[in-house]
Amino acid sequence: MTREVQAVILVLVGSAIIRITIDDTFLNYVKEGMRPWLLLTGGALIAMGVLAIVDVFRGERGKKDDDEPEHEHEQGDDHAHHGPRSAWLLLLPVLAIFLVAPPALGAFAAARDLTNSSPSGAVAPPLPPGDPVEVYVSDYVNRAVWDFGKTLAGRTVAITGFVVPNPDGGWWLTRMSLACCAADAFAGKIQVVDPPEGWEEPPADTWAVVTGEWIPGGGTNSDTAIPLLAAENIVQIEQPVNPYD
Amino acid sequence: MSQDVDATPKEKRWRIGSLELLIIGLIALVLGQQWIVTFFTNPALQTASTIFVSIVVQAMPFLVGGVLLSGAVTAFIPASVWQRVLPKNKALAVPVSGCAGMLLPGCECASVPVAGSLVSKGVPASSALTFLLAAPAINPIVLVSTFVAFPGEPALVLARFVASLATAIIVGWIWLRFGQDSWMRMASRLHLVGDTKFETFRRTAAHDFLHAGGFLVFGAAIAAFINVIIPAEWMQSVADNPVLAIGFMALLAIVLSICSEADAFVASSFTQFSLTSKLVFMVVGPMVDIKLVAMQTGIFGRRFAMRFAPTTLVVAIAMSLIVGGVLLT
Repeated sequence: MTREVQAVILVLVGSAIIRITIDDTFLNYVKEGMRPWLLLTGGALIAMGVLAIVDVFRGERGKKDDDEPEHEHEQGDDHAHHGPRSAWLLLLPVLAIFLVAPPALGAFAAARDLTNSSPSGAVAPPLPPGDPVEVYVSDYVNRAVWDFGKTLAGRTVAITGFVVPNPDGGWWLTRMSLACCAADAFAGKIQVVDPPEGWEEPPADTWAVVTGEWIPGGGTNSDTAIPLLAAENIVQIEQPVNPYD
Repeated sequence: MSQDVDATPKEKRWRIGSLELLIIGLIALVLGQQWIVTFFTNPALQTASTIFVSIVVQAMPFLVGGVLLSGAVTAFIPASVWQRVLPKNKALAVPVSGCAGMLLPGCECASVPVAGSLVSKGVPASSALTFLLAAPAINPIVLVSTFVAFPGEPALVLARFVASLATAIIVGWIWLRFGQDSWMRMASRLHLVGDTKFETFRRTAAHDFLHAGGFLVFGAAIAAFINVIIPAEWMQSVADNPVLAIGFMALLAIVLSICSEADAFVASSFTQFSLTSKLVFMVVGPMVDIKLVAMQTGIFGRRFAMRFAPTTLVVAIAMSLIVGGVLLT
């Protein structure tokens, strides 16, 4: 790999990172808090690449290569001047970002996650005021499964998520949470009970806001328990900018 | 390799080829985009590609931070500083450099290039490797995230710290006793020396990025596909057998290649597994995983990585079991 190609790769990787950061696609992959770091990273890579291109134009490459004795190759170090062949692999994420633009994790990933929550230990505070009150899927699951639904009883909640078909019938309103990035995402699932007409078997990955009330059932104090939500109203929506909880 | 005779013409040809190859390839891909995208409608492949990109994106800031730091170490810190700071006695220098790992608040992607530049600066390999292992495991950010991920289990944070530091120091000593520097084959850095310190700095950074980055991508791709391939049902049955659980969590740490700043959250999500097996996961992960071994191969060479990674793995599991047995029961 020549210095020109190395420089181009630096610029390409940097631009791919900047691009997903400014158009918010990065939220499909990592958490919001990464934004400034990604911008700095992309900027640093582009700067390194541009300066390397300047090097090439200044004829730095020719000078250095002639100065350096050929015996470097005796070590089999065929990337001493050229950059390693492995650096070609850096084009893969660039191509993935620009050509394929992998979507946020959906029903396939959610269905693979067999656990639904983990004991939080903390006592859930009362829900904020609001009718309906907006609740995250993971919050709802924690309150229903690990706090016996005490803080949910009698409240109307509005929950945003996507559809994952339940193999045993009906469907789960689902949203993934990230610990750090999409590699460690875990799913929170709520079984939607009594959906209104037309919502009995919606296609997987349909995003919706479900308004309804908590009803007992589905199990408690278990990391596989999937709580229930009696739906009153369901509105189909576009995928939110940040697809994760 | 004595291909000096034909090396020059071959290089010339390759040199002309690679830029054109890049341009032609990119044009072909852009033209064929519609066709390529149809491949990625398969949900498993789609999920794998999302996980792949997300590992790369998540690791990039840490990798770039690491290569900038390694460039700075190379360009701005004279070699004499290390001779002054580290004890003359190499065996004594190992634990000192292990504790110095607390000072680099990054993850494993950052520590590989930094360790590489330390070695090239003449720091004894045993010390640099101990630092390499300790830094991603025991820095304050990792310990705090572990504390947050396991509410009510402060002993686990201590166990992680102790087991990781012990592993790093023991592997350093093993290297000092049995290791041979000839196993390391690092790319020559002579051509990176520029007219100014800044030039050396940015060339070293770019060089390290290109070396480690390709391997990061390779590791991320493997981790993404395995992530999608392992049937989820296997997990449950494995967790019930204590020996299997430990082996499985170690294997998972190697395969998933999660950043050490996040692995505590992943470990805590395996609620059905024992605390000791989670400790194994968190001690092994920052020291031995697919992307890390790939990066070590990129910076230090294959002969090195083939010996270093298995040794580290064995010591890491042993230390986790001992420390876990004492602190987590």
